[in-house]
Amino acid sequence: MTEEKKEGRAEAGGEDDVRILAFLCNWCSYAGADLAGVSRLQYPPNVLDVRVMCTGTISPYFVVKAFQEGMDGVLIAGCHIGDCHYLKGNYMTAKRFQVLREALKFMGLEEGRLRLEWVSAAEGEKYAEVVRSFTEQVKALGPSPLRRKRARAVKGEKGAA
Amino acid sequence: MVDAEELKALIRKKLEEGADAFLCLVDEEGSLVPALVTGADSPDLERIRVGGVRYPLAKILVELLREYPGRRFAVLARGCDERALVELAKLEQVDPDRVELVGLACTEEEARACGCPKPYPTRVDLGERAEPAPEREVIEEAEFLPDPERLRFWEEHFSRCIKCYGCRNVCPMCFCEDCALENPQLVEPGVVPPEFPSFHLIRALDMAGRCVDCGLCDEACPADIPLRSIYRRMQEVMEERFGYRPGEDPERRNPLSELGTEAEIKKIMGSGLEI
Repeated sequence: MTEEKKEGRAEAGGEDDVRILAFLCNWCSYAGADLAGVSRLQYPPNVLDVRVMCTGTISPYFVVKAFQEGMDGVLIAGCHIGDCHYLKGNYMTAKRFQVLREALKFMGLEEGRLRLEWVSAAEGEKYAEVVRSFTEQVKALGPSPLRRKRARAVKGEKGAA
Repeated sequence: MVDAEELKALIRKKLEEGADAFLCLVDEEGSLVPALVTGADSPDLERIRVGGVRYPLAKILVELLREYPGRRFAVLARGCDERALVELAKLEQVDPDRVELVGLACTEEEARACGCPKPYPTRVDLGERAEPAPEREVIEEAEFLPDPERLRFWEEHFSRCIKCYGCRNVCPMCFCEDCALENPQLVEPGVVPPEFPSFHLIRALDMAGRCVDCGLCDEACPADIPLRSIYRRMQEVMEERFGYRPGEDPERRNPLSELGTEAEIKKIMGSGLEI
């Protein structure tokens, strides 16, 4: 990677920019993201993806942890209902998501910071569009209040040391 | 007020009918403690009390059933104890064939003080059914606030947490050997108050479709954190989305612990599966 590109990357995910964690299922959405890449579709570089075998393996704890660690948004993308490689794995995702979203909302985290989308391996364009619109949405909300809090705590620790 | 004599007669009857022991509360030097009455001539029978403080009897029963396989137990159960036992049976922690309930209805004052949604078991052997007195005060207070202020509202409450694990230890629905709250990757050890909001959020998520709204966590919390309201909100979500109420129907399992059918998912997600 050239110096220029490295700099561009650091800036996009930098202090002032939003950072989004995306959980992508191995069989559909990761392949969809790959298709978006090989098709050279443009989408914001604020997304950091984590490949999981199935969205059903994503414990709600992971999402809580992501927000705790200072992510501004979390995207979960998996196969369409009925197309799951493990037949019913995404049923669990769909159900858990309902509860997780309400829990985060009740705690006071903006609803728009969490999103669930179904993206198949053939939907490279949809993936790019999802990332574009989700990044816009999270940018409009600004940095997560938990991240701001965390930054303060880390600074405090360094100051003490 | 229920007479202790009535209960004594019921205990003797249950023990004659084949229960090996009866779990109830006895007076020990002025305070109520749980005790196991094993015989009709047990000296504990003289110290039996009805009503007063609550204990997570369902939780004690889970341990007794594990400790004494093959034995049958009878228990003095309030509405909340019964709900906990029903839910624990679905999670295979309690063998319903080895447990018999003697239902105790809570008094009017107890129901109000607890904010109880159902202060009596399905079969009432002792006492009179009181009116349910569910309350949503804290939920409404939190829901009224806009997002960033709600975060501060909870932060203020959770900043008092001393991480005593009392809420988990007293909870009749908590029985895991490996608790997520003790996982150093999720909850940093040695940090008080625990990280906001993950510690309490993890517990709230685990309580979805499980919490029987007994309110023991609120009673146990030394920092007066309105924990029960968080779990109650989770239950409201479960009811709105899945029509599920923990501890009610022994035949229906928690939708979050089952895969379910495509039709069910479509219904939950709405038309076209759009979020």
